[in-house]
Amino acid sequence: MRISEFLSPEALIADLQARDKQAVLREMSAVLSRAHPSLKEDRLVEVLREREKLGSTGIGEGVAIPHGKLPGLTNLVAAFGVSRQGVDFEAIDGKPTHLFFALVAPENSAGVHLKALARISRLFKNPRFRASILDATSAADIHALIVQEDARP
Amino acid sequence: MQLYEPTATAFLLTALGVLMGGSALFSRAAGRFGVPVALLFILLGVLGGSEGIGGIAFENYGFTFRLGTVALVLILFDGGLNTPLSAMRHGLKPAALLATVGVIGTALVTGVAAHLFGFEWKQALLLGAIVSSTDAAAVFSVLRGSGLHLKRRVGVTLELESGLNDPMAVILTMALTGALMSGEPLDWHILLHAAVQMVVGAAFGMGFGYAGRLLLSRVHLAAGGLYPVLTLALAFLAFGLPTLFEGSGFLSVYVAAVVMGNQSFPYRSGLLRVHDAMAWLAQVCMFLMLGLLAIPTKLVEVAWVGAGVSLVLAFLARPLVVMLCLLPFRFPLKESFYVGWVGLRGAVPIILATFPVLARAPGAFSIFNVVFFIVVVNALIPGATVPWLTRRLGLVSLAPPPPPAALELTSMHQLDGEVVPFYVDPASAVAGATLAELPLPGSAVVTLIVRGKELVPAKGATQLLPGDHVYVFCKPAELAEVHLLLGQQMDE
Repeated sequence: MRISEFLSPEALIADLQARDKQAVLREMSAVLSRAHPSLKEDRLVEVLREREKLGSTGIGEGVAIPHGKLPGLTNLVAAFGVSRQGVDFEAIDGKPTHLFFALVAPENSAGVHLKALARISRLFKNPRFRASILDATSAADIHALIVQEDARP
Repeated sequence: MQLYEPTATAFLLTALGVLMGGSALFSRAAGRFGVPVALLFILLGVLGGSEGIGGIAFENYGFTFRLGTVALVLILFDGGLNTPLSAMRHGLKPAALLATVGVIGTALVTGVAAHLFGFEWKQALLLGAIVSSTDAAAVFSVLRGSGLHLKRRVGVTLELESGLNDPMAVILTMALTGALMSGEPLDWHILLHAAVQMVVGAAFGMGFGYAGRLLLSRVHLAAGGLYPVLTLALAFLAFGLPTLFEGSGFLSVYVAAVVMGNQSFPYRSGLLRVHDAMAWLAQVCMFLMLGLLAIPTKLVEVAWVGAGVSLVLAFLARPLVVMLCLLPFRFPLKESFYVGWVGLRGAVPIILATFPVLARAPGAFSIFNVVFFIVVVNALIPGATVPWLTRRLGLVSLAPPPPPAALELTSMHQLDGEVVPFYVDPASAVAGATLAELPLPGSAVVTLIVRGKELVPAKGATQLLPGDHVYVFCKPAELAEVHLLLGQQMDE
């Protein structure tokens, strides 16, 4: 599984404006629905919120992977955003979160959904990769960095 | 009738056995009727007492004060051990304000009411101070009885408040009793004195908490059963020493327990269970004793005053003061109203009321009887409405139900790894996946699945369904990733 299969260059935002958790979820949903016009923004916010209610998807080190399941979807869709000043996402380590990878999966595809989540979280374990994304300024550069890191053996 | 040994001891143990057994057996029924179990224990005590069928003449206020204090130390220590740090983050500020300014405010308003009902000023204020602290255990016992879970912030605020507000009530009671005895006028020195007590108590508590952490993680005792002996010693020291040095022992015990409870140490789950049992034993004994101490015919004499002050406390003093205190924290109106309404009184006021009696302060007996009356009325009226009101105001938490079976590691050594319980919600990514499809990191592994009353072995083809409780073994460094995949961790 390659991340480039479900993260399109249009679904990237290099400078998130949101200052709190709920606003981040709204902004990420807006980006997702812009890249995939058939998806309703409100529904996306709803499924992401439902998952956050169980416990924050902020896995620490400034990374969060908000995700959810959307009935009617046929394949995985994703969006990526960078917050320059950081947002309190109730992350497990209590630190502010800068990198947001939103992932929405079809309803009956738990296996694929889990595989993608594990893949993304392992990718962002690399501190040099995280730093390079924070250094990049344009959405195109960030997308290229992710694709490149994902392609490494 | 003078009894000789061993007959006297045999009688004592028989009576205790009947009373304690009855308390334990009837507690479930009480919870179902919305009555705090504590009230049931008191009632059994009254039945066993001098005017009840038991006919036990017990009038030892000194013994009551001492045993009550020990019981409170045990209860506060257990409460502290079970208070997670995350609760502190959510509720510490409002709870701290309620436990200090709130207690003073409630004491003042109730004191004014008591004065209007005929008490002389100093006695009236003393009465207000005595009944000013709340007991969350009373609220939680009622909620547990009706199978409800309270929304997080409200529950945490109530619980922390009741852990923190006894010191202030104790300080005010001691100071006002002193003023009543010496005849000196009241002045602001009481507040200065209270501040010193709090600071010293908190400092001792932190000290004992960190010392306890260090001790528990370093020391290896010969037998598992000695660990609770050590923690009990710490609890007694954490109360005793600061009290000798102008500090609040109650605050110190609670703080020490919170500090200790938020660290993993060997034999932790075993220790928590022992302290839980000790806290229950303390509750049962304390309330039975208070019931034995009460003389129903004396209570009837103060019924009018008692009912009047109780109603003012429940309908005016507590709700008003709580709403004002919570204003800066922007609690929704219904939440602050709820906190104000369910501030049930527990044993602390009755134990505090023995203090002026012991000091032979004027009017102490009538204060004691009114306090007793207030505690009972207060537990009955707001107490009975708790389940209804919780549902009505929509404060029921949708937290998943606790598993019918639990798995835990018990060890006398510090372990590198833990078994973490999760709940599979429909919204969590694992719902519907087979274990073979679950890409857990490194050494993490699903050890057991509890589905309803059934234990499901964790094999590759096993599917995880919404509603399952899943136990995952993992190392601390892998916990974040496991959380991401599984979703909702259960409280232990």
